[in-house]
Order: sequence, then structure tokens, then C-alpha cells
Amino acid sequence: MWMRENPVLNRELLTTLRSPRSFVLQFVYVAALGALVYFYWPAGVDDGSRMVGPGVAKRLYDIFFLGQFCLVALLAPTFAAGSITGEKERKTYEMLLVSPLRPHTILIGKLLSSLSYLVILILSSLPLMILCYLLGGLLLSEIARSYIVLVLAAGTFGLLSVACSSGFGRTSSALVVSYLVVLPLAAICVALTRADDPSTRDFASVAILPPVCLMIWTVVGIVVNNRLLRPSDVGGQGGGVVDEEEEMKYAIGVVIDRDAFPDRLFAPAKRNDLMPDGTNPVLDKELRSEIFSQGTLMLRVVIQVSMLLSIPLMAGLLFLRSDLAAYYVAYVLTFNLLVGPVFSAGSITQERERQTLALLLTTLLTPGRIVLAKLTAAMRVSTVLTFLLTEQILLAYIMLPELRGRPWTLIVFLLIIAATCLTTSSVGLMCSALSRRTSTAMVLSYLTLLILFVLPLGVRWYLQGVSEEYDLSPGRLALITVTSPYAAATSVPMHAYRPGDAWGGDRTDFVTPPPAAFPGGWSVPVWLVFLVACPVLAAAFTGVAWIAFLWRWWKAGDGA
Amino acid sequence: MIEVINFTKRYGEFTAVDDLSFSIGEGEIFGFIGPNGAGKSTTIRFLATLLRPTSGEGRIAGHSVTEDPMAVRRVIGFMPDDFGVYDGMKVWEFLDFFAVAYEIPKAMRRRIIGEVLELLDLTHKRDDYVNGLSKGMKQRLCLAKTLVHDPPVLILDEPASGLDPRARLEMKALLNELRRMGKTILVSSHILSELADFCTSIGVIERGRLLAAGSIRDIQRKIRAHRVLKVELTSGETDRAATILRDDPAIDSVEAYGRSVTAEFHGDDEDMGRLLGRLMAAGVPVQSFAEEPLSLEEVFMMITKGIVN
Ligand SMILES: Nc1ncnc2c1ncn2[C@@H]1O[C@H](COP(=O)(O)OP(=O)(O)O)[C@@H](O)[C@H]1O
Ligand SMILES: [Mg+2]
Repeated sequence: MWMRENPVLNRELLTTLRSPRSFVLQFVYVAALGALVYFYWPAGVDDGSRMVGPGVAKRLYDIFFLGQFCLVALLAPTFAAGSITGEKERKTYEMLLVSPLRPHTILIGKLLSSLSYLVILILSSLPLMILCYLLGGLLLSEIARSYIVLVLAAGTFGLLSVACSSGFGRTSSALVVSYLVVLPLAAICVALTRADDPSTRDFASVAILPPVCLMIWTVVGIVVNNRLLRPSDVGGQGGGVVDEEEEMKYAIGVVIDRDAFPDRLFAPAKRNDLMPDGTNPVLDKELRSEIFSQGTLMLRVVIQVSMLLSIPLMAGLLFLRSDLAAYYVAYVLTFNLLVGPVFSAGSITQERERQTLALLLTTLLTPGRIVLAKLTAAMRVSTVLTFLLTEQILLAYIMLPELRGRPWTLIVFLLIIAATCLTTSSVGLMCSALSRRTSTAMVLSYLTLLILFVLPLGVRWYLQGVSEEYDLSPGRLALITVTSPYAAATSVPMHAYRPGDAWGGDRTDFVTPPPAAFPGGWSVPVWLVFLVACPVLAAAFTGVAWIAFLWRWWKAGDGA
Repeated sequence: MIEVINFTKRYGEFTAVDDLSFSIGEGEIFGFIGPNGAGKSTTIRFLATLLRPTSGEGRIAGHSVTEDPMAVRRVIGFMPDDFGVYDGMKVWEFLDFFAVAYEIPKAMRRRIIGEVLELLDLTHKRDDYVNGLSKGMKQRLCLAKTLVHDPPVLILDEPASGLDPRARLEMKALLNELRRMGKTILVSSHILSELADFCTSIGVIERGRLLAAGSIRDIQRKIRAHRVLKVELTSGETDRAATILRDDPAIDSVEAYGRSVTAEFHGDDEDMGRLLGRLMAAGVPVQSFAEEPLSLEEVFMMITKGIVN
């Protein structure tokens, strides 16, 4: 009964699955996978440069599985994290709660409707997978196993995201917390199921994963069920007043103290008196009132999770293998990638959603000042949160002699992180100005950032495989990646790894990755190009945001 | 003070407002009346510099709405029909926010916020969070916000919508108070009686067209070929008065009851003077001689009937 006659499920399925957009997306997805298979398909016996036979099938299968797993981890939260916060934002949440629907009906309806599309996407790759099977070298059980893992992952990630959605008032908060929970889980899951030894792999995915998932489902299901049964004021309609002090009394773990360092850097205390003359009121409002208007829960979760994750990473990447310091920086960058848009992607859409834009725009504040204040506020919060994680890098540079000797690399790392903060915030702002809803703006920002930060790495990786055919020098390949902070961080020369000498004094053997080769014959290190390009890009994004903002409310006559 | 000249707004094929023109003099309260979806908010948002017209022009205190929006913003206080408030802000912070946005120096802000809170009877809510206020309180707070920079022109879009009857009365009293302070006010509503008591002029809009605009009396005159005259006598000589009135070419029908005579009349003010003269000359003991004021409701019904027919 809860599946076939579930009104929540029916309504959502009707609206999402029938939209032409979903068909287009599915088509694009299958086409992309098809293209992948086409490129890797053994091109004939005379073409000696490509592998033929089982090796190809195995590689294709790996790409397929990993790609789809990443897709599930990235998409499940975007589909599910807005499921309940969306109702809150549209002010239909209480109507839903007081309806005779039982909480678990709502929960299951929300979960299935947000995941059904994802599952359809996954299953639509099945024919291509069968094609790979025909190449030989793959076991049917292997394929079945990977689909089980995918579906389990989709269910678990989706449920966790729905749980986050029920716990927060805004989609942006729910989305970022979902990612913070889901992505580490996904990393563990990939590590387990891709172990080289097939028997460990099978054991992990058949004997460990399902029961663990079941356990997570049960616990989270009960928690969300109770939440829906007895909604608290904090996560309620979103209109309620959140009493910060009251909330802090029941806070677990990190407590945010707005009067003390470092919290006052991103959340200065509320004013007791009028603003001084010359203050930008929008900036002041964003920092002092808006950050905690939905409660401090999201920020506390973000800080705690990121700190927890940083501990093992710090041990492994900074202290045991200090040559991998760039990978710790990559973790900090990923954190910023996740958190940066949260504070900026809502900055303009939220004014629209809350219908405060008309009030703001009839004052003497110019759009330029509003946009800049929004950018500054968002950047300040995300930068401070991100730099909380650089403490560990500083520590490593102080304690490890092989790092201490080269302080300029520290400065480069910090600059890369700062430039990334600037980019993520400005991309979020731009998407906010271009979108109608905060949830759209969030997803759009993540997409833009993935294209800027991660796609170049993928393209480079692909081209490396065919570089001989097309005569691509490493310098040219490096040039592709200059928009990616990951590439920038890993392009900083580090000492070579010598096993068994982690604490190894002065070093002279450095690994210098290829610099980016510009067409004019210039060679510049990737990190330098990145550091120069980033502010330019950020300025361009802010410019687009400004123009879009102007256009939206004035030219298009669409202020509210 | 406020001038709208041939304002037209189209959304694609749909014409929301069609060639609207009217003007509002200084110190007037202009009631902008029309059913839902008539185009009131569209016109108001245009005047508030929030909407670019498809064609046409607007001027407020001499400044062009399209060419010099900043100057216009300085002289108007705008209250949208649907608005939200910021979360996590207290009432005084909310007002301070807008006062700073209007570039008011701190020394003046303290006094102004106090005064505005006083005027809107929100002083006791000073330290409450704005998102915890009731609808009526929020409405008052928004009105308070429009007053912080002491604008000579107020543009209020349905300020009384969604309020309970008591809050409605209070809102009315407030608007009267603001008129006494010499402000020019444009206030819209889809409920006529809300505006009836204090508007000096009205504009009636339906389906994007202005059906009538001007002072209430002008409109009455324009839309009615005949007005209603009411003559009260000190003694019961109603028959004589009725006969005299009936003979006049400007009178359509006469009814008499008790000591008063009501006559439907289609002349102008001069005819009215002439009629009074004739009554006096005939020695009818006139106690009062006046045109019966038409309620806004009646005006509205007549105007909208006009387009139906
Ligand atoms: N952004 C828009 N796009 C399309 N149509 C609109 C838009 N805004 C308003 N309209 C239409 O314009 C007409 C006038 O609306 P409005 O001015 O809000 O009426 P009201 O008199 O109730 O305030 C309505 O029919 C409305 O549907
Ligand atoms: Mg309206």
C-alpha cells in the first residue's frame, strides 16, 4: 500500500519523470556512456596501439562502475536533500504533516521519488555493460555484484540525504551536510569494493555492505520517522525564531562562541547598538544576522566533520608521507568546494525566495554594492572555515624539517587555498544571480566548479592515454589543467619519497611536475598560472553576477 | 507629485497594463482600486523603480522613474504587497538596516527609529525578532521601514490585505495620520471601503485599463449623468418643494418623504445654484441643500457596470 497508493510518491514521480528535461538528461547520459564504449572498443587487429580483449573489458567495466558510483554519490544528495526542505521553503511542509499521511509514508515517498530517477539512470547503462560482457573477461556475477553495490549505495546515500533534509530548514544546508556525510562513506565504499584481491572484494560487497546498509537504513529511518511525527520548532516551517543561546545549551561537541577567536572571524556577535556610519548594511546583516538565522547546527556539523576527517588525513598525508602534502591540500580544497557555494549560492535567490528583494532594491543601495557585500560575506565565512583546516599544514611545516626548509611552498599552498575560496564563492554568487531557486543555484555551482576543477584532470588523464597518437607534450597537457586547484597543488615541487625515511632531514631531490607550456614557447608552473588566473576568473564571475542581477530585476521586470 | 504617462507593460503576448495615465497632486491620498490581477501591483512596481515599462514614462517629484531611479528612491517609501522579513534580526536592527541603506547618519538614526516605532505603536516590540511577529505587526514594521528616510511620497501596495478588522482600522488611522503629516500617498486595494473614508482621489483599474481617475467628486460627476440632490426643509412643505423641483429641466425624478426631498439631477454646479435660488425665491424653508455623497462602492459598481454594458 505504501508504494502503490503513496500520494507523495505519485505526485513527485509525475512531476519529475514526465518532464522533458529528465528524458534529455537520460539520453545524454546513455550517449556519453556509449561514446566511452565506442572509444575504447577494440578497433581491429591491425591497430596495435590499443589493447584488445579481456583487458579492455576489464578497464571499461572499472570505468563504468567507478563512474556510476561517483554519479550516485554526487547525484543522490542533489535529488534527495531538497525533498523535505523544499516543502519547508515552499511553506507546504505543515500541510503535509497535518495530512493523514503517516510519517513513514512521507519518508518512503520522498525517498523513492528522489531516487527513482537515479535508479533509472543506473539501469539504463545495463545494455552497455552487457556489451562489455560480450567482449569477454568479465564474470556475470561481477556485473551483478556491482549493480547491487550501486543500488545499495543509491538507497543509503538517498536516505541519509532525506534525513539531512528533515533536519534542516534550508536546502543548501541539507545539501552540504549530506555531501559531508555521503562523500567519505563513498570513499570508504570504493576502497572496500575495489580491493585488488577478488575474494576480499566479494566478501566486502556481499557480506559486509548489505547488513551495514540495512543497519543505517533502520537507524536513520527511525530517527526521521520520529522527526516527522514530532517536528521541532527549529527544523519546522523555517519561519520560526531560532534562539541561539537556547540552542547552544543543547549543542553537542563544538560550541560556537561569537565573541571568541576564531569564530568571531566569520560570525561576529550581534550588535547591541546601531551600526556605525559608513557600514555596508548588507554585509553587516549577512554576517551578524543571517549566518545563524537557521540555527548553528549546520555550521557545527560542518566544522566537526571536517575536523574529524582531517585527523587521519593529516597523519597519513602530512606526517607519514610529507611528500604527499599536496594531497592534504587537496582535501582542504575539496572541503572548500563543498562549503563555499553554501554561503554564496543562496545570497541572491534567498532574497527572492523570502520576498525581501523588493525592499532591498528600493533603497539607495546600488546593485553593485549589494553584490559585493554578498560576495564578501560569503567568502569571509567559507574562507575562515576552510582555513581552520590549514592549521594542520602549519603544524607539519613547523615540525618536519624537510618541509620547514622550503617555506615558499607553504605560501603557495595557502595562496592556492585562498584563490580557491575566492573562486567557489564567486561561482556560487554567479549561479545565485542566474537562478530562481537556491537549490538550483547550489547544484549549478557544484556543476560549474566540477567543470572548472575536476573535469580538466579527467581530460588530462584521458589524453595521457592517447598522447603519443596526437603528439601532446606533458607541458601542453598541463596547460589544460590550469583552472584546477588540484592540479595547481600537485604541481608544487616536493621532495621525492624515499621509503623508510619519513623524518628525513634536508633534502635535495625534488620532483618537479611539468610546467604548463604556452603556445609562444613560454613555460610557467601550473600553480603560478592558477594563482594569476583565479582572481581574473573570480572577477569575471562576479561581473556576470552583477549583470545578471541588474538584468533580472530591471530589464526583465522580475524583481521579486 | 506623481505622474504616470502612457505606461504600458506586456509580459510576452499578455498586456498586464495598457496605456495608463494619471497624476496625483501633492498632499493627496490616491486610492488605486481594482480587482485582483487588474495591474495595480504592476503599476506600483513600475513607480517604485522595480519594473521596466514596455513603454511609457513615470515621474515622481519631477524625477523620471526610468532615467533617475536613485533620485526617485530617495523621495519614495515603498511597501510591496507581498514581502518577507530577514531571519535572525530584531525589530530595531531591521529598521537600522534600512536607515543605513538610506544613508542616514547614526546620530539621526537613533531619534528616527524611536519616533517611527512610536508612530507605529511598535515600541514594545523593539527587541523582538522580526520573523516572530504576527502578520499585522510585520505590516506595521514594513510601513515603519518606509518611513525611516521621511519620504514625501508613500507608495503602499495593499497595506491592509490580510489584516483582521481591528488592524485594518488601525492601518486606516495611520494613513490618516500620515496624510496630516503632509505626505502624498498612493495606496492600492481591491476592497473599496478600505479607501473610501480618506482618499482624496481615486483611480479605478480593471484588466490593465484605467476606467476613471480623478477626485472622487470629479469621477462621480463624470460617470453619472445625474447626481442625487437632497433638500431638507425646516417645515413639512415637501409637496411645494417637490413641485418646483419637478418642473426644472435638470431634474429627472423626485421623491419626497417626511421633511426631505431627494431628486435625481443631471445638471452641473450652476444648475444646482439656480435650483436653490428658485426654491428660496418660492419661499420654501430650506434647511439644507446638498448633493448626496456617493459611496465609493456605488461609484465602483457604476464604473464597472459601465464596461460590462
Ligand atoms: N512576471 C509576470 N509575468 C507574467 N505575467 C505577470 C507577471 N507579473 C504579473 N503578471 C500578470 O499581470 C497581471 C497584473 O498583475 P498585478 O499587477 O499583480 O495585479 P494586481 O492588481 O492584483 O496587483 C496579472 O494578470 C498577472 O498574472
Ligand atoms: Mg497586487
